[in-house]
Amino acid sequence: MKLRVLRNSLRGARLAAVLGGGVLGLLFALLTLLLGTVTFDRPEASVEILATGYAAWLVGWVLAPIATGGGDDTLRPEHFSLLPIGRARLATGLLVAGFAGVPAVVTLVAFGSLPLYGARFGAGPALLGLGFAVALLGLVVLVYRVVMTALAGLLGSRRGKELGILLVGVLGLAGVGVNYALGTVIPTLVEGRAGEFAAVMTALPTGWGPVAVRAAGTGEWGLAAGLSLAMVAMLAALVLGWGALLTRQVTATGYRGSARRRAGERRAGRSLLPATPVGAVVGKELRTWWRDARRRVALLTTPVLGLVVAVVPTLGEGGDASSVLAYLGVFVVALACVQTGNLYGFDGSALWHTLLVPGAERPDVRGRQLAWALLVGGPSLLFALVLPGVTGHPEAYPRVLALVPAVAGAGSGIVLLQSVFAAYPLPDPRHHANPFSSGGRPGCARILLILALTLLLVLAAAPAVAALVAGGLLGSPVLTWLAVPIGLATGSALAWWWGGLAVRRLARQGPELLATVGADR
Amino acid sequence: MAQTGESEPPAMRLSALRKAFGSTVAVDRVSLDVPAGSFFGLVGPNGAGKTTLLSMAVGLLRPDGGSAHIFESDVWHDPVRAKSLVGVLPDGLSFPERLTGRELLTYLGRLRGLDPATVTERAAELLGVLELTEAERTLVIDYSAGMRKKIGLAMALLHAPRLLVLDEPFEAVDPVSAATIRTILRRFVESGGAVVLSSHVMALVEQLCDHVAVLSDGRLVAAGRVAEVRGGTSLEEAFVHIVGGRAGGAEGLSWLASSSG
Repeated sequence: MKLRVLRNSLRGARLAAVLGGGVLGLLFALLTLLLGTVTFDRPEASVEILATGYAAWLVGWVLAPIATGGGDDTLRPEHFSLLPIGRARLATGLLVAGFAGVPAVVTLVAFGSLPLYGARFGAGPALLGLGFAVALLGLVVLVYRVVMTALAGLLGSRRGKELGILLVGVLGLAGVGVNYALGTVIPTLVEGRAGEFAAVMTALPTGWGPVAVRAAGTGEWGLAAGLSLAMVAMLAALVLGWGALLTRQVTATGYRGSARRRAGERRAGRSLLPATPVGAVVGKELRTWWRDARRRVALLTTPVLGLVVAVVPTLGEGGDASSVLAYLGVFVVALACVQTGNLYGFDGSALWHTLLVPGAERPDVRGRQLAWALLVGGPSLLFALVLPGVTGHPEAYPRVLALVPAVAGAGSGIVLLQSVFAAYPLPDPRHHANPFSSGGRPGCARILLILALTLLLVLAAAPAVAALVAGGLLGSPVLTWLAVPIGLATGSALAWWWGGLAVRRLARQGPELLATVGADR
Repeated sequence: MAQTGESEPPAMRLSALRKAFGSTVAVDRVSLDVPAGSFFGLVGPNGAGKTTLLSMAVGLLRPDGGSAHIFESDVWHDPVRAKSLVGVLPDGLSFPERLTGRELLTYLGRLRGLDPATVTERAAELLGVLELTEAERTLVIDYSAGMRKKIGLAMALLHAPRLLVLDEPFEAVDPVSAATIRTILRRFVESGGAVVLSSHVMALVEQLCDHVAVLSDGRLVAAGRVAEVRGGTSLEEAFVHIVGGRAGGAEGLSWLASSSG
């Protein structure tokens, strides 16, 4: 069934994106494969490097979908909730389906380094390596499935959802850490200087394979057999645990955005908004941002991601984190553009009511822009006002205060442009849905989109940056501070211009957009 | 086509509407007049193209060919006037889900540019009549199927349209809610409005509607007053005859009985 679904969805751009992602993955896989063939002076080095490499693949499997908001939802367990299939059979079936896909094939290529490594010792170890390569693939797919299912289960409750956001933030931090580590660790491993790290890596289940193969190669068949048994036991435990989790996900009641809320507590907020069409949309959007878990995840992860992206790279190299932290507001706005650029996808087929209200396209786009600017621009402006002072970089003030309004204004236009021009459907939240699953947006198309909108943001910042640079060169504080009104003006102008483009597109292609976002896969 | 003998312009006029998805022709050159003040039933088997036809008629799905007029305004060329005259209840689509019923109606009223006092008053009245006041604090996403149909109907009625287009308004609705909806629709027609509803429940259409059109495989196979279309039989029998089907189910399946003994 998964193969059929895949075949049906592999068309045109999507095919290209999957292929692109596959090629990229294949490059990494070939790199790992090479690791299996290279001989080092120190025989343990191969084992340790392979173990580290496999651990990195495991982390990649788990983190990639969370980081890109992706995740493999081709087959959702809920699809099977009504079929009389036992939980073990369902788990096995979905597991098998998990292997059918480009990532699994690519990963298997990477793990092919293990039999290659074994081949150096002879046919026996090579065979054992092959077995372990397949087992490793099973391990990786299973761990990924368990984590995603557990997250989905956790996110079923409101409090759990907040926790999940935190978890993703921490995982994100760890991911960047690992990324940095890999650059420095491999040389150290080759020279045999990272004893403890290597010990941990080889002790992890991902490291058992290389150890076992080497043991077989050196004639310690007992150790090899023990590790094989342990691996099988590990896989069995994971299958069982995952089956139990699945049962919970399949039988739990429908996923609720945020369950019943009291109506009285927002009465005050309502009167603040004018009773105009735009005011009505702003009010609806603010409520939806707050109450819809999927939107909240998209919004709340941006400050965390901002921290990770802006600050973590400077930690290792003896860089100055505080100087970057002063600019956090700018990073948050830019990331929010990426995270929230599918507003109509979030709302799904609800777009019909906008299309049926005569002339509602303009207030709808403008209201969404305003709500976004309030929710993203507000905190970012706060960061811009507070952080440079707190971190001891007051010289950053004119820059941050010029850049944040410029990119926030432009961002409110970009988000709407993305929402109408690059919309894609998300799973209908009325049924089960993991707020982290992003629907059918493959990673490569996302990366292209991110590049495009980064370009737009840079364009938006250019006038303010020009004033800042000129002010710096001429030593003129007046010119430097002039960047602030310039940034404000560019931001407003771009918000108006790009929002207008979105209005026109929505008015002309509304039914087509509805067909796109309304298609619940 | 449906004739009324009155000179009033039709509430809805569809001319040769056509839509194909890939090689599948969902609606094949359907022309249809819905007389003003009529209670019009659109019936047909599942997959006959009812939803596709109604979506094209109100401006939610762009037709490949043909035109749709609502009170003589072209839906696709003069949408502002056409859309201000029609109220629509689509089938199976989302609403702004994270609002309560009252918030949803207030939002929609203001989006339509209605006066705030009118919006408040109408929202309260609609929620009361549709018995949704009990669920005052429930978000629409937590509504039951029947409640969703009712809040959708409230959304369609809020701006006092002259034509209602309802896609499967009684599907998955409990009997009590169905009775409420029926009463409201009858009152709407009595006060001069026109209703178009789709259904595959013949008895319901026979009981409620004065006009009926039968859609099968994307083609219009019969249309007119209910009495004309059904002839001397029930609408159900006439329908099976018109669609050219043969009520199956009489042969085979012998194993169904064997297990009950």
